Amino acid sequence: MEKAIERQRVLLEHLRPSSSSSSHSFEGSLSVSYSPSLSLSRSIAISKLQDSGLFEYLFVHLIDLISTTTYMYIFSLTRFFELYQASACLAGDSAAYQRTSLYGDDVVIVAAHRTALCKSKRGNFKDTYPDDLLAPVLRALIEKTNLNPSDVGDIVVGTVLAPGSQRASECRMSAFYAGFPETVPVRTVNRQCSSGLQAVADVAAAIKAGFYDIGIGAGLESMTTNPMAWEGSVNPAVKKFEQAQNCLLPMGVTSENVAQRFGVSRQEQDQAAVDSHRKAAAATAAGKFKDEIIPVKTKLVDPKTGDEKPITVSVDDGIRPSTTLATLGKLKPVFKKDGTTTAGNSSQVSDGAGAVLLMRRSVATQKGLPVLGVFRTFAAVGVDPAIMGVGPAVAIPAAVKAAGLELDDIDLFEINEAFASQFVYCRNKLGLDAEKINVNGGAMAIGHPLGATGARCVATLLHEMKRRGKDCRFGVVSMCIGTGMGAAAVFERGDGVDELRNARKVESHGLLSKDAR
Amino acid sequence: MPVFKAPFNGYSVKFSPFYESRLAVATAQNFGILGNGRIHVLELSPGGPGVTESIAFDTADAVYDVCWSESHDSVLIAAIGDGSVKIYDTALPPPSNPIRSFQEHAREVHSVDYNPTRRDSFVTASWDDTVKLWAMDRPASIRTFKEHAYCVYQAVWNPKHGDVFASASGDCTLRIWDVREPGSTMIIPAHDLEILSCDWNKYDDCVLATCSVDKTIKVWDVRSYRAPLAVLNGHGYAVRKVKFSPHRRNLIASCSYDMSVCLWDYMVEDALVGRYDHHTEFAVGIDMSVLVEGLMASTGWDELVYVWQQGMDPRAS
Repeated sequence: MEKAIERQRVLLEHLRPSSSSSSHSFEGSLSVSYSPSLSLSRSIAISKLQDSGLFEYLFVHLIDLISTTTYMYIFSLTRFFELYQASACLAGDSAAYQRTSLYGDDVVIVAAHRTALCKSKRGNFKDTYPDDLLAPVLRALIEKTNLNPSDVGDIVVGTVLAPGSQRASECRMSAFYAGFPETVPVRTVNRQCSSGLQAVADVAAAIKAGFYDIGIGAGLESMTTNPMAWEGSVNPAVKKFEQAQNCLLPMGVTSENVAQRFGVSRQEQDQAAVDSHRKAAAATAAGKFKDEIIPVKTKLVDPKTGDEKPITVSVDDGIRPSTTLATLGKLKPVFKKDGTTTAGNSSQVSDGAGAVLLMRRSVATQKGLPVLGVFRTFAAVGVDPAIMGVGPAVAIPAAVKAAGLELDDIDLFEINEAFASQFVYCRNKLGLDAEKINVNGGAMAIGHPLGATGARCVATLLHEMKRRGKDCRFGVVSMCIGTGMGAAAVFERGDGVDELRNARKVESHGLLSKDAR
Repeated sequence: MPVFKAPFNGYSVKFSPFYESRLAVATAQNFGILGNGRIHVLELSPGGPGVTESIAFDTADAVYDVCWSESHDSVLIAAIGDGSVKIYDTALPPPSNPIRSFQEHAREVHSVDYNPTRRDSFVTASWDDTVKLWAMDRPASIRTFKEHAYCVYQAVWNPKHGDVFASASGDCTLRIWDVREPGSTMIIPAHDLEILSCDWNKYDDCVLATCSVDKTIKVWDVRSYRAPLAVLNGHGYAVRKVKFSPHRRNLIASCSYDMSVCLWDYMVEDALVGRYDHHTEFAVGIDMSVLVEGLMASTGWDELVYVWQQGMDPRAS
């Protein structure tokens, strides 16, 4: 309403008088953007008055609600940015690039490593015990940081398919192999495909809660030992609840659902798979994975002769550099007749493990450990089980918003490529720059050992952010979750950022802060 | 000291000329920008500290000023943001109020002042650049004074001469009017920026004070209007209201956008006599009681009304 704006203008003239004394034009000397036909119009006039150290800010915040006859304005008067909640990454003006302060109670990651990921049943880890997969990574965390293992407060391992108690015992045993004393407890966590990331988030939360200062979030999966299966009968009650029934859908069927509902073509999916293999092959050839992969000494048993051959596995064996659209085009759809999801544009079934060492920043400083990354936020969301692949499209905005950032502010993404259909959908839905996503390949090329993927992605992301330099400030790890969920976490670069480089172009100006829009 | 928390942001406070423990408060929702308004009539409890509301009137738009009638002890007049001037009778229940509503101003009515000598008329100042003269019993305004070039923020009657009043305007001039004359009798370009308020000295009928966006209060003698008698500096931001004390000749009270209420003695070298920082938002309304010496009230956008004795801490309980 013009009347309210006029009143506001008159009042603001008292605080910020125009220099010419008698000239009052009713257009006003303020830049007020007012558009009555738009559903949302905001006008912020900031009158900043400096007087011997006293800063006073008058914020006039007009919000125009959708209505043709009535508008509701909320006028809030605050000082010292009291309106804005403290957010993980921002200064008061919602500008990510302004945040520079480091707090001693930040949860930082000082080391993140993984094993190579190998095809299950046929790859290099097919004869490796699961606990032998995890132990080398845990030991590497200790050795590379010179940490005293008894300082670790807890080890949380994300793991999905194995029977719960047995796998928990195996993880405990694994910790002993790695040289941890009996005083370090171990537990497992299972949120299906996001278990590895959930483990990292749980450790971060526990550190923030003050349960301990140093923790390890890890992930482990041997799909050779524990393939995807359902034991026992299915409760007939699921027939009454469609969503419960959809939890039983094979993952590939959900992929077809996503492809069909959101129109992701076979061509797009195959192209995504080709890109994934190409990038992963390039990264392996360039030696980019050398920092994060821990060589595992294991054995391979020849199925026919029973001969054991000792090997050291330090390269992902699922990557096929020669993948092309043509070779993928020959594959037949697996889950649905006339479908689009094939073995080529789905993630590989793999064995592998990953682990991340987290601690309070004050502890890292005291121990003189360089900081690889900073854990910022985590979000887990729920989506329709029938199209579980859309999880990242919901989880990523949630985690980014929780960090007080915009999607624009994220420089690097690791989005798990469970299926090309859901990966392409999420990438397009969020409008992300493809150059920033899975720059070293994804699960279609490298593999998706369910529980380990989260921890694996954290390791890959943080090492890549370190390589990219100070430009690369924020990174996101995200995945969809079977039975209809999504998870995402925001990480910040470890050692120093280039504040000016992270400045973003301001689209519309008018001297308004980002929160005005 | 009694404190009253209103639901809306305070705009003006006036002591009743009849009852020493009664005052009226004009409030407006959303800082007077948009929304309703309310007039509270408060009673100071005689025994201990505390102020209670005896009656309240809701209005459709913001109430920018309120003044008590000098002829009837229960009548008050409100200046409303939608351009209307409403008369309320506190002796009648809220449903039968307002007893009169005059809709003549084209824009917000910013102040209303009752004639203390003649006691039959009142004058309203509005943002439509006019000042209007009204009588209680007339259905329409008696006269309209249209000379200012911008919003008129306040019009105040001279305490001694019943036909003379002064108006302070955003066109940076102070005008003295006589209702018997066709136009203004004196134009004083008092400040370089908008003049937000003015008030006459209760003991010297030729002296008046103006306060302005330029953060100063100037005291003028109309007989020598070229230069002010005194220029009072000390406020950090625009001074919103100025009031001469009805009990001491040289005492001026002022409230400002710097959230403070100041007391000044303009005849003394170091003019600032007292400063109260009790408000946490803009202090916009101030009044000094005629019946009780030293009793002051102030209100601000922090929705609080303080009543205190000069020299005491307004927030002390």
